[in-house]
Amino acid sequence: MKVDLLQMVDSGGCSAKISPRQLEEFLKYLPLPQDPNILVNIDTHDDAGVYKVNDDLALVFTTDFFPPVCSDPYEFGQIAAANSISDVYAMGGTPVIALNIMMFPSSKLPLEAYAGILKGGYDIAAEAGVRIIGGHTIDDFPPKYGLAVVGYIHPGKIITNSGAKPGDLLILTKPVGTGVILAGQRMKMASEDDVNLAKKLMKMLNFSGAEVMKKYNIKGATDVTGYGLAGHALKMARASNVSLELNLNKVPLIGDTFRLVDEGCIPGASFRNLDFIEDDSHFNTDLNYSLKMIAMDAQTSGGLLMCVNPEISDNVISDLHNAGLKDASVIGNVIEKGERYLYLNN
Amino acid sequence: MQIIDTSGQQCPAPLIATKRALKDARTGDSFKVITDNQTAFNNISRFLKDNKTEFSSGESNDIWTLTITKQTPELINADAKEYCTTEIPHFSKGDFIIAFTSDKMGNGDEELGQLLMVNFVKAIKELDILPRNMVFYNKGVTLGAEDSPVIDHLKELEKMGVPFLFCETCAKYYLLEDKIKIGTLSNMFEITQVMSSAGNIVKP
Repeated sequence: MKVDLLQMVDSGGCSAKISPRQLEEFLKYLPLPQDPNILVNIDTHDDAGVYKVNDDLALVFTTDFFPPVCSDPYEFGQIAAANSISDVYAMGGTPVIALNIMMFPSSKLPLEAYAGILKGGYDIAAEAGVRIIGGHTIDDFPPKYGLAVVGYIHPGKIITNSGAKPGDLLILTKPVGTGVILAGQRMKMASEDDVNLAKKLMKMLNFSGAEVMKKYNIKGATDVTGYGLAGHALKMARASNVSLELNLNKVPLIGDTFRLVDEGCIPGASFRNLDFIEDDSHFNTDLNYSLKMIAMDAQTSGGLLMCVNPEISDNVISDLHNAGLKDASVIGNVIEKGERYLYLNN
Repeated sequence: MQIIDTSGQQCPAPLIATKRALKDARTGDSFKVITDNQTAFNNISRFLKDNKTEFSSGESNDIWTLTITKQTPELINADAKEYCTTEIPHFSKGDFIIAFTSDKMGNGDEELGQLLMVNFVKAIKELDILPRNMVFYNKGVTLGAEDSPVIDHLKELEKMGVPFLFCETCAKYYLLEDKIKIGTLSNMFEITQVMSSAGNIVKP
């Protein structure tokens, strides 16, 4: 039996995230634990929590899991693992150990699919130097998979959402459009080449991007996932108390993403993300509608969005290109906090 | 009216179908989109609002129906600037229609007649009460062609909410079928109906 995981879900990957606005509502009522060793918590909506062990070591701790984004179990395992580990890279950490989190409908799928997903996860974890030392499986439909990952980081070298400074340029390391392309695949509108490219990008670890950030001592960054480019930019702007200008024409796109969006292939998650950001955003009057909605596209295992001093930005870009991130581009800049947090231009 | 039933389809299929229908529709055409998915309904509504496209909607037993009218042909691809800066106020319409039977105003010198027609169409925009409808037949249909001297004024009038009916037979006769991109190509029955139900008919 040929397994097709996509048959089981309406929305896969990070598109399946709960609405960011709803999440903020719920989180308001949870007390933040008070502990001087907590260096980063959900207060700044960072990608992972950071807990100081001693003056030289802190732990980066994160988890992420989601329903299938592709038909093949092995590839799904790879993408889910790369996405889970990404949060550690986004904070500048080195991922070390992980636990599997799996929900699997054992009555509906052959166990080969289970093994395939896990194998994909292990292979990507191995590529990242992460040891998977256990996990937990629940019988559930549809399947979901991801990792809880622990990484090491020096307490003085944490890269966070709150590190953006006016004058910095914004560099994005991977092209945008995984949500659109995956929806386009479901609608039979996306080309096979674009689907393959999207899968390749989703499996790609943010390792080399993180290495470049460490080399240049970059302080502010996040990874772009379920809240879309604009959603994550907003979180960074808020946490850093600055405004961000995004030039959406400069955003690298996967294949035919623009054409698909222009034809109406806009996944539901994009509208959720638009709801989340619009009160804090200024849309330039001539902003192209399709570009605007691309900025809302939920990314699965998206790239790093980093804040870089313009004096070193050329070197950062060329290092990223040399590391194989050939689409890495400057897509905007950080300005003093204005009336709105986000300014979206063509 | 065209009905697009997207029942059973998940996001973004209903939105794609809506956008395609909008693209294919002629200005003034209305169509219905049906969905059984509230998220799809919300997203289509949001898309239409963002693109300043008029629609009405209703719900019964978890089935949502949107009735969408295409206003101007360029709307969907229009620059945001265009509809953000030119705020179109609400205009009231009177119980009269204007019938354009020629590309000129009155009988006499041709050049003068054309000039008068330009001024006439321009003057309609300044009226306190706009016509309920404007119909174009015989040589009048040439006024609606892309290269007509009054086309810009007509487009503005259309934005102000005045519907246009062009006699399709006439458009075909003058080989203008593809050049008329405003209003609706219509048949003699509809034109007769509009004319016979109007309180007054103004003829330049």
